[in-house]
Amino acid sequence: MNETKKMVEIGNIVSNWELSADVNALVLECPDIVAVAKPGQFVMIKNEMGSTYLRRPFGVADVDKEQDLLLLIYRKAGKGTQELAQLDDGAPISVEGPLGKGFSFKNEGRTLLIGGGVGIAPIIYTARHLSKELDGPKPVILLGVRNHKELFWSDFVENFAEKLVYTTDDGSYGRKGFAFDAIPDILKEYPDIKHIKVCGPTVMMKGIAELAIKQGIECEVSLEKRMACGFGVCLGCTFEGKSGKRWKVCGDGPVFAAEEVFG
Amino acid sequence: MNLTRLATDFAGIRMATPVMGASGTFGFGVEYSDFLDLDQVGAIISKGLTPLPRAGNEGVRIAETPSGMLNCIGLENPGIDVFLKDILPKVRKEAPNTVFIANFSGSSVEDYGIMAEKLDVDGVDGIEVNISCPNVKEGGIVFGTDPKAAAAVTKEVKAHTGKPVIVKLSPNVTDITVMAKAVEEAGADALALINTLTGMVIDINSWKPLLGNVTGGLSGPAVKPIAVRMVYQVARAVNIPILGLGGIATAEDAIEFLLAGASTVAVGAENFVHPDAVVRVAEGIDAYLEKHNLSHVSELVGKVQIG
Repeated sequence: MNETKKMVEIGNIVSNWELSADVNALVLECPDIVAVAKPGQFVMIKNEMGSTYLRRPFGVADVDKEQDLLLLIYRKAGKGTQELAQLDDGAPISVEGPLGKGFSFKNEGRTLLIGGGVGIAPIIYTARHLSKELDGPKPVILLGVRNHKELFWSDFVENFAEKLVYTTDDGSYGRKGFAFDAIPDILKEYPDIKHIKVCGPTVMMKGIAELAIKQGIECEVSLEKRMACGFGVCLGCTFEGKSGKRWKVCGDGPVFAAEEVFG
Repeated sequence: MNLTRLATDFAGIRMATPVMGASGTFGFGVEYSDFLDLDQVGAIISKGLTPLPRAGNEGVRIAETPSGMLNCIGLENPGIDVFLKDILPKVRKEAPNTVFIANFSGSSVEDYGIMAEKLDVDGVDGIEVNISCPNVKEGGIVFGTDPKAAAAVTKEVKAHTGKPVIVKLSPNVTDITVMAKAVEEAGADALALINTLTGMVIDINSWKPLLGNVTGGLSGPAVKPIAVRMVYQVARAVNIPILGLGGIATAEDAIEFLLAGASTVAVGAENFVHPDAVVRVAEGIDAYLEKHNLSHVSELVGKVQIG
């Protein structure tokens, strides 16, 4: 379980800009949450001036602990995120967190980080943590995106990557196909990869999890499910693991061992 | 916060404030300890307990709606036995001073009696009977919409416990006062209203219901005027105290319920959005009492002026 004290903090918008036609980046000044947030954890945010009722979960994309800044990356998919995208610098956002338990880290071998869609967001902080804070071998980063218009992720991760590989749905950049398809070559090139961490669409994580299990590589997946609270009371996000135990994505996850979800 | 102005005796249960955390939105209380001081919570009303563990419903369980939410969790809970063995001791250790009310339901009249008896233990200060779940044994009748069945459940529960019994009423009826009177006559010590209103959301892209269980329970600010109206009607129809809930997000909301005739209130969906809401509402009521020069919250109860 997550032992960090959870809190609600008002974070003022430092910047809120467009990365592509439907994806935005949001930087909030959130000193208390930033000080304790770990890679793979999430926050529940609410625009108190907006028209939606419930908070929405956002994976922590990155933190700047010196400047107290929290980075979130979001797809403008619904009314709440469209309203969020309209907000100017200085606007207050209610941030609840840090929530859940993040990725686990072991001091051995290299890590392959795989992200798909906006699920790439938590890969940024995870990559920073591995390469800078833990000072271990830089991770190999594999990103699955729709097309060449979604290469903005490079700006966030390339400094932390031993190698950055893209796959695109339409082949407009990098390898055409799914992130999954690029894994065998990466494992051949980097036999020191001992861990895989994935955040993306369920279908993507399932294939990768099964491959990792088959090859005996430790694999963690980060799940996303609808939730109302984010801290274990609404029970909107529960599921039964392969062990038969019932889990809450919010409090027990969002990161789980691949075996428990897809084994 | 001036606790002498807020301390309330509700159906024999002494609470620090008249503001509780509603069943299904407050876990077992201790989940909120990072966000508020549990000593300032009037009562923790537990997640609904059932005789056996329940996994709840498949598929999507939560949907945002205008000024509210729909849920179809399906009473996921670890079951009464795990609750008594593992959860209650933890709650009593971490929140020793907070009133704890156990909410439960069953699928037959006998189930309710068994549950009431099992919950008649130290550490449980009162019980809240959920009569809005399907009656499996009696062919799908819902206890909460049939006054005779509701009365039978209430009698069975009263016969098996020494704890104060609060019966939680469903708003999905034509005349809620009929249910309220039936439950009062059957011996309930107090009433809680309202439970969620049955609602539905359809995904216009897939032409399918958004929720896995097709329909769900509506809660949040959207239901508040309905809840206030029902509390007002029931307060005029019965003599037992009322716990009012349904869409309370602020102290002002809570004061409406008190004026309508509730002597206590509970915060529900709002706990998900602002996890300090139970205490914030109590503080706001206290500030209102101060401002209006009232010495106790009971001076507001049922004081709505008609005509």
